Amino acid sequence: MAQIYEAMFLLDNQVVREDWGKAKAIVTKTLEKHGGTILTARRWDERKLAYMIEGNRRATFLLVHHEIPGDAIPAMQRDFNLNETVLRYLSLAVDVVPEEEQALSEAENAEDFTIPTPPPDDAPDEEEPREDVDEDSLRGRSRGSAGERSANSKEPDKEPDEEPAAGAEAPATSDTASPESSGTTTGTESAAAGTETATEPANAGSDTATEPANESSGTEPVGAVDETKDGDGADGSKEL
Amino acid sequence: MARRIIRIIASKHCDDPVINYKDITYLGKFLTPQGQILSRRRSGFCTQCQRQLKKAIKQARHVALLPFVG
Ligand SMILES: [Zn+2]
Repeated sequence: MAQIYEAMFLLDNQVVREDWGKAKAIVTKTLEKHGGTILTARRWDERKLAYMIEGNRRATFLLVHHEIPGDAIPAMQRDFNLNETVLRYLSLAVDVVPEEEQALSEAENAEDFTIPTPPPDDAPDEEEPREDVDEDSLRGRSRGSAGERSANSKEPDKEPDEEPAAGAEAPATSDTASPESSGTTTGTESAAAGTETATEPANAGSDTATEPANESSGTEPVGAVDETKDGDGADGSKEL
Repeated sequence: MARRIIRIIASKHCDDPVINYKDITYLGKFLTPQGQILSRRRSGFCTQCQRQLKKAIKQARHVALLPFVG
């Protein structure tokens, strides 16, 4: 028994726009040519690519489960590498075909099945914001605009803690509260930052050595800044 | 002062770890804003799960579901 493979193919939207069946056949025919049997084949998604592939910003993803004899694989790979419709593919060995894949593939084979026409290449993706944003960056967002933050993050790691606070909070609070309140907050923050500068090198010398280097080289060292802020414990000092 | 570690305990994976490259909303949680894979210390995964995570993220990157950088 031949091994079952789950393969994902990225297809050129230009070909998909003309005819989905034709685009799909390019892949399935190639597989069959090399002695493979198609178990399922369905349109998985059409989405924006994380990076450009052969000048394409979007592509249609075709998910295929198939069997193929092992000795035919190099020839198959060569065919797909040369094929201009297949932008990229990923083939993984699996044990079984999932049942829901079977059903989804059959639904696509139905007569009245139509796939939505791929949007133009520069269409933005409906993308949900990444959830790995930790509270530090959220705090930064509430403090000032993104532009201010990225501008400040170029400076050494001690300043961003103080100056965006002073710069961003003062105009924000002046509308609602008295100017003294903003002054006191910046005062405590800078004091806290001062103590941290004293303690950090003693605690983690290696960290302080690496972090400024990161900041000077990268234009947006968000992670690095977040890390140092973690270390600073700005949270704790504020609550105290 | 101890660094605050963003820990995502994924206990359900430890019995039968199955991390798939197509589940990019899940995988995206284990990337830094620049696209680097979170260290084991920050992801909270055990050895086997972290290894699967690494593999799945790299597969997702290959098919442009996740970025290599940025
Ligand atoms: Zn585990």
